[in-house]
Amino acid sequence: MGFLLLVIPIIALLLLFILKPKRLLHLVSVSSAVLLLIIAAVLTYKVILYGAIAYSSLGGFFYLDALSMMILDIVLMIGLMAAIFSIGYLEEEVKQGKLPAKKIRLYYMLMVTFIFTMVLALTVKNMGLMWIAIEATTLASAFLVGFYNNRYALEAAWKYVIICSVGIAVALLGIILLHLSSAGILENGSFLDWTALYANAASLKSSVLRLAFIFILVGFGTKAGLAPMHTWLPDAHSQAPSPISAMLSGVLLNSAMYGIIRTTAIVNHNQGSSSFTGRLLIGIGILSIATAAVFILTQKDYKRLLAYSSIEHMGIIAVAIGIFTPLSIFGGLLHMINHSLTKSMLFLSAGNIMQKYDTKQIFKIKGILKTLPISGTVFLLGLFAIAGTPPFSVFASEFSITAAIFNQLNLWVGIVFILLLAAVFAGIAVTLFKMFYGQPDSTEAADPRTGEINIPGTVCLVVLLTAVAAGGIYLPETVRELIIQAQSIVLGTI
Amino acid sequence: MSENLLETLSVLILLSSFVLMANKRISSYIKSFRIQSMLIALAAGVMGVRSLSDEGRWDILIVCILIVVLKVIYIPGLLNRTYASVRYKVEKDFILNIPILVLVCCGLVVFSYFTLATIDGSSQGMSNMQLVNSVSVIWIGLFFMISRKKALGQIIGFLVIENGLYITAMLATQGMPFIVDLGIFIDLVTFVLIMGMLTFRINDQFDSIDTDQLNNLKG
Repeated sequence: MGFLLLVIPIIALLLLFILKPKRLLHLVSVSSAVLLLIIAAVLTYKVILYGAIAYSSLGGFFYLDALSMMILDIVLMIGLMAAIFSIGYLEEEVKQGKLPAKKIRLYYMLMVTFIFTMVLALTVKNMGLMWIAIEATTLASAFLVGFYNNRYALEAAWKYVIICSVGIAVALLGIILLHLSSAGILENGSFLDWTALYANAASLKSSVLRLAFIFILVGFGTKAGLAPMHTWLPDAHSQAPSPISAMLSGVLLNSAMYGIIRTTAIVNHNQGSSSFTGRLLIGIGILSIATAAVFILTQKDYKRLLAYSSIEHMGIIAVAIGIFTPLSIFGGLLHMINHSLTKSMLFLSAGNIMQKYDTKQIFKIKGILKTLPISGTVFLLGLFAIAGTPPFSVFASEFSITAAIFNQLNLWVGIVFILLLAAVFAGIAVTLFKMFYGQPDSTEAADPRTGEINIPGTVCLVVLLTAVAAGGIYLPETVRELIIQAQSIVLGTI
Repeated sequence: MSENLLETLSVLILLSSFVLMANKRISSYIKSFRIQSMLIALAAGVMGVRSLSDEGRWDILIVCILIVVLKVIYIPGLLNRTYASVRYKVEKDFILNIPILVLVCCGLVVFSYFTLATIDGSSQGMSNMQLVNSVSVIWIGLFFMISRKKALGQIIGFLVIENGLYITAMLATQGMPFIVDLGIFIDLVTFVLIMGMLTFRINDQFDSIDTDQLNNLKG
């Protein structure tokens, strides 16, 4: 059953290649996303009940445990939302003459490939194959970033591929060193196998392993958008079509973070404490939050602002992994879910705003709440949510991470962390709330009449908003169970 | 015997990346890359024959054939074709002059020596020097990417990084698992195809493949 996760995207890709009518293309993309999500739901229950799922066929590479399942669920959920949103988004872009109608097929083919590579990254246990899949996510999404094919989009795509590929190459050096650290310990069939590495972590060569961790952190950290390797991220996220920005921010960054978490688990198991990985992760995490705060305070482009906010949240997750206590890991994993849902909701509603006003500049937009009553409201509440205001779910996870930092008596880290979060909050409030005031200006806006453009997409927004708002108050039992299992995988307390 | 040969080859591969750094024209970048790939294929051949006679494993030999087909024949050919269609009159495209670039490369070799001096790589009968040589190739490739302004120079820089990674993996650990090698090749070919296409598009939009022009997105 697990293999269906990999087969369905391939079938969808073939169908998209054969079919011509636009309506069928939309149908294939949405129905494959729905099917994937249903399968993932069934697999999630299996994982919660029986632990890891592994098949011995195909070289035994297929492997799902609570950690990968959790992130896979996020991928497929956001994938479905992006697929539904894309219908209205693409139709509108074609109507406004920004995209030729024949590019819809290419868009969907690239998007399905992108989802396929992410699913692949999360369903293999071999670190080498995981590396290949993560590099493939860059390649699959390169043309999506440069989809509009203008000067800006091409620049973003070029930077994206060059920076991420080089970063990922550094991660490969790390993986080679990981392989070297296990030389003479693992058998031929289990080279680079995560479960085998983890089980034998205590006997791996520590000096090589530490070097490997640094390279992997820099490499996957580039892909996850951690400062100072984040420079591709604001460009790529602001130039890609909005549903793709949602997937890049909500999903892709998590897949790269997943690679870091897996490695951290091995290294900490080997070292017997988290002090080595902790220092590096907390340092790089705080630096990311600080960088993001500076750029958010001075930002003029709302899509770039959202992109910097993603850097901030990846930094928060890195800090949480660095602290490495049960509470912080729980908070970090929960934060991954919350950030993905909230950020993709924001990028999708930013897509509606952009189609309506035809600009990314913050100062050119006034009175969104009047022009776009639903998307505007979602955007406003989403900004509160992403800044970490209660009762939204991001607050819950940020609070547990902060509590974990202080519990560990990392007083200075905690103080800096809170101050930076406050700065980000102020930045978002000062910069973006301008968009909500004033009267809609009919001379500057391209299409100032009121009303939503993308009806199915707006339904997605409302669904996401409900999830984000409810998630702050009540965490469903299955989700909690999944996160707790994932937490014990990371901590090695099974 | 084969150990001496590999030692020599790893020095030659390092030397070829110095040669690359000293190149002035894009067409000679492609030539140097091709020569480096040949040396790597040779090293893979030596290791393949050894593993075939020792353990009866065919996979390294298959990898060797793949390197010849992809990195010696297909990818340089593709780059030459791309270059032919975006040809430029001005050839000087490096930021510092060549003697300084080569000196920095020497510095990079020293740097990787000191980085790797602390770890013992000799677990599977390889000397630390081979590891230093091959890791240096990675850093030199990275530096080559930074030092060149043209899009094609950056693509070749990445390919050299990939070469360095490959030779590191091979010398340090007797090769990655076969399926990982295959996947890396698939990624590499896709990378070159995508970057080739992007180069065409950048050439269309900016009338040049100078990546200094890609500076509109800031802040």
